[in-house]
Amino acid sequence: MAMINEMRLARVGSGETKRRAKRRRTRKDLWTAVLFLLPSLLFLTVFVYVPSVMAFGLAFWHYHLLGVHTTWAGISNFTDALQFNLFQQSLWNTFYFAALMVPGTLILSVSIALLIQKASRYYGVIRTLILLPYATPAVGTAIGWLWIFDPTYGMANGVLHGLGLPESGWLQSPSMAMPSIAIYSLWHGVGFDVVIVMSAIAGLPKSVLEAAAMDGAGAWRRFWQVTLPLISPTIFFLVVVTTLGALQSFAQIYALTGGTGGPEYATTTSLFLIYETAFVYNHYSYASAMAVILVFVILVLTLIQRYIGKRSVFYQ
Amino acid sequence: MFRLGRRYVRALISLGIGLSFLFPLYIALVTSLDTKADVFQFPPHLTLDGRLGVYVRAWNMFPWMMYFGNTLFIAFVTILIALATSVLAAYALSFIEFRGREWVFSLILVVMMIPSEAHLIPNFVILAMMNLIDTYWAQILPYGASVFGIFLLRQFFLSLPKDYWDAARIDGCGHLRYLWSVALPLSRPILFTVSLYIFIGSWNSLMWPLMVTQSHNVQPVEVALAHFLDNNSVDWRRLSAASLFTTMPVILLFLLLQRYIIRGISRGEGIQG
Repeated sequence: MAMINEMRLARVGSGETKRRAKRRRTRKDLWTAVLFLLPSLLFLTVFVYVPSVMAFGLAFWHYHLLGVHTTWAGISNFTDALQFNLFQQSLWNTFYFAALMVPGTLILSVSIALLIQKASRYYGVIRTLILLPYATPAVGTAIGWLWIFDPTYGMANGVLHGLGLPESGWLQSPSMAMPSIAIYSLWHGVGFDVVIVMSAIAGLPKSVLEAAAMDGAGAWRRFWQVTLPLISPTIFFLVVVTTLGALQSFAQIYALTGGTGGPEYATTTSLFLIYETAFVYNHYSYASAMAVILVFVILVLTLIQRYIGKRSVFYQ
Repeated sequence: MFRLGRRYVRALISLGIGLSFLFPLYIALVTSLDTKADVFQFPPHLTLDGRLGVYVRAWNMFPWMMYFGNTLFIAFVTILIALATSVLAAYALSFIEFRGREWVFSLILVVMMIPSEAHLIPNFVILAMMNLIDTYWAQILPYGASVFGIFLLRQFFLSLPKDYWDAARIDGCGHLRYLWSVALPLSRPILFTVSLYIFIGSWNSLMWPLMVTQSHNVQPVEVALAHFLDNNSVDWRRLSAASLFTTMPVILLFLLLQRYIIRGISRGEGIQG
């Protein structure tokens, strides 16, 4: 297209004026681009780029909000944080939560997607129902779940009881609180993943699946040896997104634990602890050091995931 | 015959799973309407005669209108700013050719890779330096640029036929006019999708408003609801009623406009690549 354009222009003017006009236009274009990009880049600079670097700076000082009594701390905030047993536990809690969320999301979203893809007539309705929680706020939807998880009257124990299994304290039991929050989070977020898996499955070449069926592969084998490898880029995308989302969870923990991160700090994730340290106890620098450590760990984890993803994902 | 039965069973199971996602909301509704002091019954049952009084009582306990107003104001101003910045940036990244364009785009996409923990505390400090803590602006400005918006709009702009722009340029049309009278009207559905995401994000945000606000007159609905739950932790009926009427607006919005949300999910997929 650009070629035709140039030819049209060439017919209009001589070579010299054409080149000069083009140069002028390039320079003018550059200024327009700068002007257009400026607002976004300004916001990102003030609220993302600069703060991300600033976090390191803050962590090396004892910073107080009004700027008074700010003193150099060296690496003491980092060493304190690493030796603080609650911070250690929070790191463990954070990754435990992610470790629950990633397989939970994958298994649930792929099973639901496979199940509802054949229910074509009701597909729209089912998708609406499953995706609905994704748009709802955590505090607003916590109440129903607090009821479900109630140890004495709740429906969760009702089900366990009905199955003849031992009952659980759910959100009030230190060992089950995090899994309970994971269950809530799956309910809240899995619709997003189902939509993505569904669109990946819909985009599969029918001929391959049919060929596999012709060769006598059963549904189970077709899934493991054809469908799953073909949608592996999507699966990998979900692993990355779910991990990052889980490591940044806050609202559901706040809502389901009444803002405590309990019982016995069992649901205090690192982000939750950072929030409390900075905004409840006003130790900004100490919290910054924790944040820097957490971000460092997250980045390492992301790089590992990407490395594994590159080697094991099947790209067509 | 057998196949038909199997399909029927499958549809039934699918529908059952779908309905089970509504259960927590249904429970909240039943709890709010139950008159018995003991709301914990299994299975719950629903009776609807003159039980709506609890909604009126819960509504009158807090200045909810003000909180709704705050949330709406924050959401709409954020949408206006973020749409303006995203449209301009996406336009520059797709219609204007300049050196370093891909580099700038990567710089913007990097934001998706930075976990929010990284800039949480400095964001607060910067807003404190600007004297904006405990204002609407503290809840608006950090969302002034939307990477998601830039990404979706750029993707859409790049999909427009290049002939449009070539033809317009021959006719002497500048970038600003082309943006305003061609690109923008065509991208209305995308603008709508982005607005919807920002709106839902605004409505549901909790941590940031908890951090940057103390005064009730600038706090959003979700924070107010969190306070309400703290203050009324024994009256489950009232809690359920308040939870439902603060959540209903997003639920309705979702039901009416879900195709835009689904579009956002499937188009935004490339952003983490």
